[in-house]
Amino acid sequence: MKYSYITPRRKSAFTTEVQLLVIFFSITLVMLFITYLFLLFKDYNFLSDMDDIVVVQSELNINIKDMKEQITFIEKENLLAQKVYTQNTVLKDSIANLFDLVPQRITLSEAKLLENGLVLYGVTPNKDVYNFMLQAPLRSIFHRTYSSFHPAENGWLHFVSTNYIDEEINLSEGVYNEN
Amino acid sequence: MKISVSRQHIYLLSILIFLLIFVLIFSFAVLIPEGKEYRKNRVEFQKESKELRRYQNFHNEVEARLKELQGENRHIITAFDATFDPYRFQKQHRNYFSSLRLSQLTQVSDDDEFIAYEVNTTSEISSPKSFYDFLDAVNKSDWIISIEFPINFKRDGEMIKSSFTMKVFYANSDKNTTKPLVNEVTE
Repeated sequence: MKYSYITPRRKSAFTTEVQLLVIFFSITLVMLFITYLFLLFKDYNFLSDMDDIVVVQSELNINIKDMKEQITFIEKENLLAQKVYTQNTVLKDSIANLFDLVPQRITLSEAKLLENGLVLYGVTPNKDVYNFMLQAPLRSIFHRTYSSFHPAENGWLHFVSTNYIDEEINLSEGVYNEN
Repeated sequence: MKISVSRQHIYLLSILIFLLIFVLIFSFAVLIPEGKEYRKNRVEFQKESKELRRYQNFHNEVEARLKELQGENRHIITAFDATFDPYRFQKQHRNYFSSLRLSQLTQVSDDDEFIAYEVNTTSEISSPKSFYDFLDAVNKSDWIISIEFPINFKRDGEMIKSSFTMKVFYANSDKNTTKPLVNEVTE
């Protein structure tokens, strides 16, 4: 038996209102999750980058330490080389001064340059020439000067001049002993 | 007065309240703490990046200084690393002497940084000027060499016989590596 003249509407749980609600909240939740995922990803990125920075810093530290050691070593090499070069130059000047010191009238036969002294062998026409022209300048340079003579065959004199510079420590020891 | 609310509206309201509560809980319990953590990490990262830039600048400065020193002292560095070659030494300095003989190289000192070897030298020169020129040339040679006392000069006819000791310095880059000792050589 038929009670209505119209055909009944099909009813569904997803009414227009429910659909609207679901769409609205779906968009909201998706946006919230995307934000959350973005934050998680950035956090992971920061932590990962910070780990990398620590590694790079450690490598840089090692490099800097190594380069500083190299710099120190090169500076030491340079210092030693300059010391050696200066020593050689001073030695050259000392030898040149020594040979300039010897007057024309005195002939050297041997010269021994020691660390703190000088021994000269040679011939001189007489003692006066030696004393005035060689011993006097030697005395002004060295602390102790000793000379010995023996006659040569041609009437000249062979001489041996031994000269020493006292070390600073020897001087202080000398003063101490005298006191 | 009776308020009539349909069952459908009650369902709708329930879903709405449930979703709203979920959004609020999610925001306050998860999203905001995570945001705070993100800000903290970002500040920390910026601090670390700044520190890294400082390190890199310092590293670059030290590297530039090292390169500059290496450039300025190239000859000295090479000379300290070079093994003493008596044949080459004689070849380089034969012009200053009529004859030049070198004895065996002997090690005299060995510290953490430098090793020193001594070589006794006997030679003949025609004038002291040759010896001065030799001393100038030694400072420009391929090795770091110092002329040591005692130095003897002895007249021998028209020539001067000289004998002296040379000290050759090496950089002690590896304590386990020993420099080869050289046999006596005569020109």
